[in-house]
Amino acid sequence: MIRHKQNNSRKNSTDGQQWKKPSVLRSLFKHKLSCIGLIIIMLLSFMAIFSPFIAPHDPNEQDLYHVLEPPSWNHLLGTDDVGRDLLSRIIYGSRVSLTVGILSTLFSGIIGIVLGLIAGYRGGIIDMIIMRITDTFMCIPGFVLLLVIAAVIGPGLINIIIVVSVLGWTGFARITRAQVLQIREMPYIEAATACGASGLRIMFRHLLPNSAAPLIVTASLSIGSAIMLESGAAFFGLSIQPPTPSWGKALRIGYSYLEIVPLFSIAPGLMITLAVLAFNFLGDGLRDILDPQLRGARERNK
Amino acid sequence: MRHYVVERLLYSFLILLLISILIFVLARLMPGDPIHAASMINMDLANKDIIKELQHDFGLDKPLYLQYLYWLKDFIKGNWGVSFGSGEQVLTMFMRRLPVTLELFIAAMIWAIVIGFPFGIISALKRDSWLDVFFSSTAVLGVSIPVFWESIVLIYIFGVYFQVLPPSGFVPFSESVLDNFLCMLMPGFVMGTHGAGLLSRYTRSCLLDVLSQDYIRTARAKGLREITVLVRHAAKPVLIPVTTIMGLAWSYVIVGSFFVEYIFALPGLGRMAANAIFARDFPVIQATLFITAIHIVCMNFLIDIIYGFVDPRVKIHDPA
Repeated sequence: MIRHKQNNSRKNSTDGQQWKKPSVLRSLFKHKLSCIGLIIIMLLSFMAIFSPFIAPHDPNEQDLYHVLEPPSWNHLLGTDDVGRDLLSRIIYGSRVSLTVGILSTLFSGIIGIVLGLIAGYRGGIIDMIIMRITDTFMCIPGFVLLLVIAAVIGPGLINIIIVVSVLGWTGFARITRAQVLQIREMPYIEAATACGASGLRIMFRHLLPNSAAPLIVTASLSIGSAIMLESGAAFFGLSIQPPTPSWGKALRIGYSYLEIVPLFSIAPGLMITLAVLAFNFLGDGLRDILDPQLRGARERNK
Repeated sequence: MRHYVVERLLYSFLILLLISILIFVLARLMPGDPIHAASMINMDLANKDIIKELQHDFGLDKPLYLQYLYWLKDFIKGNWGVSFGSGEQVLTMFMRRLPVTLELFIAAMIWAIVIGFPFGIISALKRDSWLDVFFSSTAVLGVSIPVFWESIVLIYIFGVYFQVLPPSGFVPFSESVLDNFLCMLMPGFVMGTHGAGLLSRYTRSCLLDVLSQDYIRTARAKGLREITVLVRHAAKPVLIPVTTIMGLAWSYVIVGSFFVEYIFALPGLGRMAANAIFARDFPVIQATLFITAIHIVCMNFLIDIIYGFVDPRVKIHDPA
């Protein structure tokens, strides 16, 4: 990877104004794109939590007399290949995507942060080993590895969450480590060490909270990419198994009927795109607000 | 400088070694044991002694690290195993399909540069205007949109609804240049979208960074025209990091080709890998994984070297 020394001070838009600590939430509402992202995320979460109340039909109720129907008043988006209501299946499908996105980000965050803290704080040979493992994982495209591992351990929701978590930690580890290296030499860490604080205490009570900002950004972007990975795996039939409704799965089946009922594949795909887009908008917005220095760093670290 | 190159080279080899171990472990974990498979077909093999003998012939009774070394030696010699599906040598399959994927990559790169670069420059120059908001959000859309969905939407619009482009299929360049161009148009665009998004975002942030530097202000203060400032003073420091981003975007292109070649029915490497995953054809999957990783390690090495030459601030021992 590229080690680019950043000693040139980047200038941001607050130049020349008197610097005041803005409230994160208020800045978030001012940032148009992240505001849109936040609204979409809230709508999706609402859909996922209250799907039994919103969905007009039972998502698993088959009606073999009405298969592949175009949109009608009874079925607003039409029906799928075994006569299930498409709209209801899309509403329920948000559960799978959000679950995978949030849980796998949580797990990969825990793995990555712990490893990054240890690597950055301990340094030396441990640091070298952890970072070389990180580099190794980064040199294999996550999705290819995801498909291979999923093919090895078999399809299923839990397996996908495990694989996505195992693949997603590298970003967290690198960012945590970089943050720790910056903070480690600060006087307050020295003070804590002088007070006799243990390594664990310094790592989790001092280093972690002070490197939280870029990690929050990473988490938001990581949820988006986890949703994308899951739907990609579902497209290859490696994610959650039928009859559970899932966007990637619906898109895959609908694609075979593209000429008869285009909505069958286009509508679930639109939901995937919206979900990924929303988390990316939010992440970008948070990055602009929390840390203007970080702009562009993500692309470099990819 | 020589020290730097050697160190990067050693580092790349170390990473490749670690990757090969990872892939070997995965290959071991993959279901399907050749001797078991053979004994299913040929009942004579059910005999324990014969199985032992076969294990000896295949080297499966040796310690794991020796098996790994043999496996690595075979791989380097180009003996990548035989596909479960077609019974062909994996290497020959690779070579036959490589041109299609290369053509797709070139088409994707052209699309990415044609779209991404102007978008990024315009949004940097018109910073915070509605144009910037529009182009920046388009760039996020380009990065966020799943390739499989984009392909399907484009096929529906241009292939099914308007019927102006072939919805799928491939015509080799040698048969008909025009048909080849037409059938590469949509797949190339879809593959280029992600790169275009990345490129546009990165160009924007780099250009903004450069334009706020003192020497640009000096150039402007000298009374140079804006276009001269951009071309003569701002272009070079922007182009270097942007080129490297295109290098890194390749790794994404490989993943994208899985879907794009599958959906558009292009007979390339991605389609081969996608089919191998459906059919659990592990020799092919393993080779794909290894080749992709080698490709990315080489790209990273090249990028590091280019950076080292161009930007003397790059320091190998810099902790960050």
